[in-house]
Amino acid sequence: MMALVGSLRKELAEAVASSRVLVVGAGGIGCELLKNLVLSGFVHIDVIDLDTIDVSNLNRQFLFQKKHVGKSKAQIAKESVLKFCPKASITAYHDSIMNPDYNVEFFRNFTLVMNALDNRAARNHVNRMCLAADIPLIESGTAGYLGQVTVIKKGVTECYECQPKPTQKTFPGCTIRNTPSEPIHCIVWAKYLFNQLFGEEDADQEVSPDTADPEAAWEPEEAAARAGASNKDGDIKRVSTKDWAKSTGYDTVKLFNKLFKDDIKYLLTMDKLWRKRKAPVPLDWNEVYNIESCDSKAEFTVVGLKDQQILDLKSCAVLFAKSVETLRARLAEKGEKAELVWDKDDPPSMDFVTAAANLRMHIFSMNMKSKFDVKSMAGNIIPAIATTNAVIAGLIVLEALKILSGTVEQCKTVFLNKQPNPRKKLLVPCALDPPNPNCYVCASRPEVTVKMNVNKVLVQTLQDKILKEKFGMVAPDVQIEDGKGTILISSEEGETEGNNRKCLVEFGIRNGSRLQSDDFLQDYTLLVNIVHCEDLEKDIEFEVVGDAPEKAPQKLTEDPEKNIANGSDDGAQPSTSKAQEQDDVLIVDSDEEPSSAVSDINMEDRTQKRKLEQEDDHIRAKRMRVEQPADQDDDIIALD
Amino acid sequence: MVEKEESVISEEEAAQYDRQIRLWGLDAQKRLRGSRVLLVGMKGLGAEVAKNLILAGVKALTMLDHEQITEEVTRSQFLIPVDSSEKNRAHASLERAQYLNPMVEVKADNENVENKSDDFFLQFDAVCLTCCSRDLMIKIDQLCHKHQIKFFAGDVFGYHGFTFADLGVEHEFVEEKPKMVKPSQEISDGPEAKKPKIDPNETMMVKKVLISSFCQLKDALENLLKRTPNDYFLLQVLLKFRTDKGRDPLPECFPEDSELLLQIRNDVLDSQGLSSDLLPDDFVSWCFSEMAPVCAVVGGVLGQEIVKALSQRDAPHRNFFFFDGIKGSGVVDCLGVK
Repeated sequence: MMALVGSLRKELAEAVASSRVLVVGAGGIGCELLKNLVLSGFVHIDVIDLDTIDVSNLNRQFLFQKKHVGKSKAQIAKESVLKFCPKASITAYHDSIMNPDYNVEFFRNFTLVMNALDNRAARNHVNRMCLAADIPLIESGTAGYLGQVTVIKKGVTECYECQPKPTQKTFPGCTIRNTPSEPIHCIVWAKYLFNQLFGEEDADQEVSPDTADPEAAWEPEEAAARAGASNKDGDIKRVSTKDWAKSTGYDTVKLFNKLFKDDIKYLLTMDKLWRKRKAPVPLDWNEVYNIESCDSKAEFTVVGLKDQQILDLKSCAVLFAKSVETLRARLAEKGEKAELVWDKDDPPSMDFVTAAANLRMHIFSMNMKSKFDVKSMAGNIIPAIATTNAVIAGLIVLEALKILSGTVEQCKTVFLNKQPNPRKKLLVPCALDPPNPNCYVCASRPEVTVKMNVNKVLVQTLQDKILKEKFGMVAPDVQIEDGKGTILISSEEGETEGNNRKCLVEFGIRNGSRLQSDDFLQDYTLLVNIVHCEDLEKDIEFEVVGDAPEKAPQKLTEDPEKNIANGSDDGAQPSTSKAQEQDDVLIVDSDEEPSSAVSDINMEDRTQKRKLEQEDDHIRAKRMRVEQPADQDDDIIALD
Repeated sequence: MVEKEESVISEEEAAQYDRQIRLWGLDAQKRLRGSRVLLVGMKGLGAEVAKNLILAGVKALTMLDHEQITEEVTRSQFLIPVDSSEKNRAHASLERAQYLNPMVEVKADNENVENKSDDFFLQFDAVCLTCCSRDLMIKIDQLCHKHQIKFFAGDVFGYHGFTFADLGVEHEFVEEKPKMVKPSQEISDGPEAKKPKIDPNETMMVKKVLISSFCQLKDALENLLKRTPNDYFLLQVLLKFRTDKGRDPLPECFPEDSELLLQIRNDVLDSQGLSSDLLPDDFVSWCFSEMAPVCAVVGGVLGQEIVKALSQRDAPHRNFFFFDGIKGSGVVDCLGVK
């Protein structure tokens, strides 16, 4: 006869009590997860989170109260949990999991690791650490009403990086600088402008008209000529935006007229751009400022939130001037070489982007957006609620119990839908897939091929954009397989600093070269094969062979893939903030088909599902897949 | 019904509810703000539902429970402090429940729901029952149905859980749908709008009304057909156990309770001329006590259904949700609706 401890068989209850687990993240999923763990009998729990508590967390991160705003999430989570479960033994770390202190030995201490993260970089890193330590990892994510849980076990299942994930959306420079067609283009431009004026200037974040725009040229030589006549990359001035602004003392009228009148007038001279597009209409400060305030606006009662109002043109201009002045003063206060970092929760930063983006939207004949909406897009805010996180955290613990029972083969990927699928399932369990033999992380000898122009790509770019950003390394060491073992990049600070600004070709790297890249902390070695290529698209510095081409904007008719919703906050889109990089929502494919190992779905159902997916062209800007509910016998009255 | 919304949301609310307003919209949030909910039974599932509704920002939540705290409950319920001087489950949960969101009026009531007058229920916009007997649930559902009060029930038995909803004869809600962009608009979201397209950035609200789409619990539970899911039979067995023994199966009584469960299963299925294979013997291993993660899952789904019904935003699930924590499957089934 079986003995039960609570709901659990005695052996399982004992395994639970004696296990040691690591929870990475103490936010939306993390709070719910900690609660579930202690109530299920887990005792030894380590929790790590680098973040502090914000008021916008309080609608779901229930271990925190208003009085805790500003304090460490990991620390307060621990304290709150101990109040209802004092016997739990919790260690809290207010730190980043990517800190080298948390090495493979650290991870080996745990029976299993559970991620409750909101960004891909950390997920990649923990994935590798768990592979290196051979510890099971439970991965999860939520976004809005959708969520997903999956189990990763080395050699048994796919790792987090076995399937390529869609990369962050980027827009071509000329779309941002010359021919915006959607509000997001204007918002990205405004964020670039912030950095150009007040923050870290980045060559990839130019805001002035791009004279080298291939679309603008009637004859191909013309574009080349224009480009040659200006700075590299077609800037029409040789002075940096920040220096120019400083030289005028950040005079708001001068700034306004340059950005919203003179630069627009210049764009108009590139007449080919406007043959099929509506031409932009420049603004003049004096004209805008002297617009009579529209009385009729005052008659509308404020129904929505204050931030949900859409400003009129004059108010935008005034807001622009005001925020520029505030930011200028702040910058001056900080001193000579100061830089500001854009933060969506900082009102003047947010006001600046709202105003600048809206002015540009007006110029390019787009409907203006409220600050509320701009904040969503600029700050890459993922809407979040308590219940989704509660469900996902419950599912995580159920998977953990299977692992502790020694029945990893019963583990599943589980998707949470918004509405039941045609088979009535709201929660869809799917069998786990075996590892991808060609995975560039968990294969026995990971290898990858990358196309680039070795005459142009800098060592710095290889390190930052390719090895770190694309391939998730934190501290790469790179050796050229040239028979001499030449060290190209060393993770030790300062050692190879001198190489950074040199092109790869200067080290003898050419077509067919192989680079051995190691991340010591992650215990990860990647062999990078170089294919020299001179005709990559403009703005594209490298291409990984085997990846889908990185075109932007990506409309989501991509193949359905298993992806964990990142559920992150505060990222840039594309990234313009050098503060903690966090990425946007990934697709949660809640219509995932089980692998052929599971026999309970017949082929007709699969075709039916694929049909539904293809019809599902309605992709929202937040890039979440919304399940179409089964038709109901009801009356439909459409509003408006 | 739901009180007329105040037209202005405070700065404090806007800041705290920001991430959910961005999901379900300001109107939905205002409706929540005007809603009063009765929650019966403050064990593991009740605590989860309470948390979810309080965080969502309802106007008021009354936690009603006449039972005392037991050691088992302190293990599975996170609102009750270990050193609580309160003996009653509802009162012991009150302080931590209120801390979750000071903007909600949270109350505790230690009376037995059986003894409440009909009038008592009329002050609520939604009623959610946990830990109640079958007959009691049926009776209160009938009352709610009569007065257009949204009715919910749910329970967790070990690895299994269920929810039920009766939203009445008529339920109105809105849904967000993508907007079709007309070609002739002068100012649109871009200078290129020359042909109609589905604009992923623009959506519109579509109103829907569900008529006679729910049934009362009485009809739902008298619906024993061969093709209903196993979980439904399991629910019938467990509700019968609860009626007969006045409690749920207890781990410390595992041998005798398992035997009784098997017997009830035979009775329930035999009486319908159904084979006991529909609910194999091992079911007894998985339905004791309330599993915390299962409370979290079921409480999350149930909480969200209540939020949807009160806010009148998005299609409700009809009318049962069954969760099997071993398989990880969560199924919505419509039973008893003609």
